[in-house]
Amino acid sequence: MIEIDFFIGLFLATLITALFTTRLYRLFFWYSLNSLMLGLLALFMGAKLDDNAMLITGVITILIKAIIIPFMLKNMSEKFKLVRQIKSTIKVHYLIMLIPIILVFTYYLADPITHMIGENSNYIAISISSLFLSLLLMMEHKNVAPKIIGFLSMENALFLLGISATEGMPMLVELGIFFDLLMAIVVINLLFKQERTQ
Amino acid sequence: MMILFLLLPAIIMFSVSFMKNSKVNNLLSISSFAILVPIVKLFMLDKPYHIWGNYLIADELNTYILLVSSIVGIGVTLALMTLKKHVSISPKSYRKFYRFFATFWIGLTLSILANNMGIYWIGLELATLSTVYMIKTNFTKSASREAWNYMIVGAIAISLVLFGIILIYASAKPILGEEAMNFDLLLAHAKEIKSSFLFEIGFAITSIGMFIKMGFFPMNLWLTNVERASYYPVAALFSGMLESAVIVGFFRFSQIAKEVNYEHLFTFTFIYTLFTIFMVSFLIFRAKDFIRLFSLSGIEHMALIVLFWVSGGVFPALLHFGAHAFLKPALFLSTGVLESKGKYKIEGTLRGYEGKRGKLFVFLVSLFLLAIISLPPSPLFFSELYGFSAMLEMAKINKYLLAMIMAILFLLILLSVIFYKFIDIYQSMKYEGEEQKKEVYTTEVFALILFALSLLVLLLPVSINFLKGIV
Repeated sequence: MIEIDFFIGLFLATLITALFTTRLYRLFFWYSLNSLMLGLLALFMGAKLDDNAMLITGVITILIKAIIIPFMLKNMSEKFKLVRQIKSTIKVHYLIMLIPIILVFTYYLADPITHMIGENSNYIAISISSLFLSLLLMMEHKNVAPKIIGFLSMENALFLLGISATEGMPMLVELGIFFDLLMAIVVINLLFKQERTQ
Repeated sequence: MMILFLLLPAIIMFSVSFMKNSKVNNLLSISSFAILVPIVKLFMLDKPYHIWGNYLIADELNTYILLVSSIVGIGVTLALMTLKKHVSISPKSYRKFYRFFATFWIGLTLSILANNMGIYWIGLELATLSTVYMIKTNFTKSASREAWNYMIVGAIAISLVLFGIILIYASAKPILGEEAMNFDLLLAHAKEIKSSFLFEIGFAITSIGMFIKMGFFPMNLWLTNVERASYYPVAALFSGMLESAVIVGFFRFSQIAKEVNYEHLFTFTFIYTLFTIFMVSFLIFRAKDFIRLFSLSGIEHMALIVLFWVSGGVFPALLHFGAHAFLKPALFLSTGVLESKGKYKIEGTLRGYEGKRGKLFVFLVSLFLLAIISLPPSPLFFSELYGFSAMLEMAKINKYLLAMIMAILFLLILLSVIFYKFIDIYQSMKYEGEEQKKEVYTTEVFALILFALSLLVLLLPVSINFLKGIV
């Protein structure tokens, strides 16, 4: 389906753009857009497969990951006065070379797996490369906030793998993962709060 | 109903932690002790017992692990009662510590009892996240840094576990549908999985995630740093409880992997654990403080448990697990007293304790120190004996006997390095340094007595028969 290819392309594009971002709020914006693409992808796949659970998951993804979490993170960064200038420790020209290498490498890495999964096989390679790109996002910044976004992007990559490799995980598991994600945000908030008290 | 009964003490603890009354600490301790009651009840029921449909099933393996964890939890609670006397902690942080301990317990219970890979992961993630805040209760820069480090390393490890679970689920979904998430069904239909390569890749990634969480090679320093930076009860929780939740997952996944391709499972795990023990033995040799010493020793023992388990030695693996789960928290809790005169001071730390309580403390710490290096009659001595026998038995069947003998000899050399270091430290604690007057509190001695009694129970014939009955 062309819509799915379109959204998966935008999902990857937003993640790559996030890697080059040097401002914190812009990074939240790209994360939000990345999650929105993921949510829309789930909605389209849910409609294609006639899977109500995936439709619900898509809606929850948009609500929690694309709206609530970026909003909470922005609030947190204002409240705790986080540094908004986020410089990457890897130079831009190295990043430009590194990202295509990761994409090509993961395509070949996932090749044996993609042969075993009939439909959506290319999406698996993209979700694995998104996982590596999220790890890169965590590694390239010294500040805590971009590392948190890296961690959240990893969750997005795994969610993409879940919907592409297995056509959706059981609803209960998906809900549990969302709950854990919110719990992570609460813990992060507490850590910042504690740091301010110190 | 049973699920509510199991989680009720944790829910009460969580609710009580919001109260600001001065007597709240007693209530917190009582609710923490109460975690044992439903588990004893569960332990006595006929197995398998469906607690929540097919999502949570109690069998002999997980009830044993849960029982061990609850005893460790009680021991930690006893030590927590005197935490304020050793370190400076505000009442608010103390209450929050319990709040996250309750969340940790809920996560731990879910992951240990889970028959569903997804529920297992959710529980493990919940337990991991709650420990992040516990590290931060120590108001130091290093604790702050390590809490963030743990958040990141934990996130990577747990993401790898989920990644592997998704691939395992994808490999089995064509034959089992949504039921492919269930451990019992996966085990029953393991041989029917068509894309075994996909399953094995998933298993390898999940295992690496779990090995990172247990501090295995090459990620063998983060755990020691975290345990060093946090208060000693947190280190006890890590070694005695969180690692139980991780290892039960490894037990479940490896049982299925064994059915898919045993040779691959064994080779992968054997190389991984051997490297880990090799690295850790030399790190132990260079350890300069108790927490790092015990933490690294914990990694060594977890590696041995994994090795015995995949070699088919279920009994030695479980005996080793139980003994380690009691010994290591006991040693970590002792460090609160042992390090009262300085973090890096080992000489003479076992001198200067007066009265019956002090002498009992010295006796118990000596006992635990010698037991952790597997001196007989420590349960670890027997588990290692049975474990190495299981490895030889397995090698005999697969015709790798000579290679296995060489590997065991190599392992024994590494273990002797660890043995030497512990004996050296023990002698330094007992015979070197100046004698200074030190204080030990009743609840701390009670915690150590609890662990010592639990170790003794492990050696009883009835316990050994029970462990031998777990398949």
